[in-house]
Amino acid sequence: MNTIDDQLNRLFRAAQNAPSPDVAPPPFGLETRVLAAWREGAKAPVAFWDTAVLTRGLILAGIIMAVSILPALNSRSVTTSSIADEVTSADSGVDADAYP
Amino acid sequence: MKDGSPLMTDEQVPECLARAREGDEKAVLDIFNYMYPHVAKLVQANLPVRESAEDLIQQVCVKVVTHLDQFSGKVPLLHWVSRIAVNTCLNQIRHEKRRPEVRLADLSEDEAAVVEHLAHSSTEVSASDQVASRELVEKLLDSLKPQDRLLMRLMYLEGRQLEDIAGITGWNKAMIKVRVFRARAQLRKRYSLLMKESP
Repeated sequence: MNTIDDQLNRLFRAAQNAPSPDVAPPPFGLETRVLAAWREGAKAPVAFWDTAVLTRGLILAGIIMAVSILPALNSRSVTTSSIADEVTSADSGVDADAYP
Repeated sequence: MKDGSPLMTDEQVPECLARAREGDEKAVLDIFNYMYPHVAKLVQANLPVRESAEDLIQQVCVKVVTHLDQFSGKVPLLHWVSRIAVNTCLNQIRHEKRRPEVRLADLSEDEAAVVEHLAHSSTEVSASDQVASRELVEKLLDSLKPQDRLLMRLMYLEGRQLEDIAGITGWNKAMIKVRVFRARAQLRKRYSLLMKESP
């Protein structure tokens, strides 16, 4: 009894040497349909322009968002210092005393 | 080709592509005729169950000719076309669940004879049994997942190298190696079951 691997290898070799089935010529009308699709695609460069505008718009919106978030992040980093925390808690203490 | 003119050669591809991008219909037709045998072969090899080859071939050809401006030229045109064909087929097969098991009773007389020969003789399969061997391999491959089937076919039936397969599928080499290893193990298992049924 031969090993499974040896049998599989011989099977693959035989299959590889088998004549591959012939490719039939393109069916009638396929060429015309493909060309028609190409013509349709070629007629619509506007769609590509729209995509480009949309992409640029999204990039610009992203930049604006990043720029507007930046000051908020900076102020957050300032208020996270321990002195700022103390001032904040003192303020809230004063508020609590003034308005029981 | 219908008009009897010879197919475009590999060297003529860049010039033909340039003309097609400028809107030359004859150039698009030449590209279609150049890629058609390649696309038809790939689609027929990876045809999903219940799907017509003609529809899929048309889908692939339309995708190629309508996206010619996206072809960078870094790889051969046929590699790019292969990727589109492979992805189109795999997308169609993605939901295919049926993976029939191969039983000895399902094999033709010739295929059963090949199994018997492999089990009891250490010689190569004779030339007259090569077609039956191919059909048997196709049946075994049908029991694998579509992606594994594709890789096994490219590697073992078409004898392609790893680089070539990576170019055609767009998958990285490490992933291909792992998938082929696992697919081969599965195939070994299926074949063993077949052998157990063999007298």
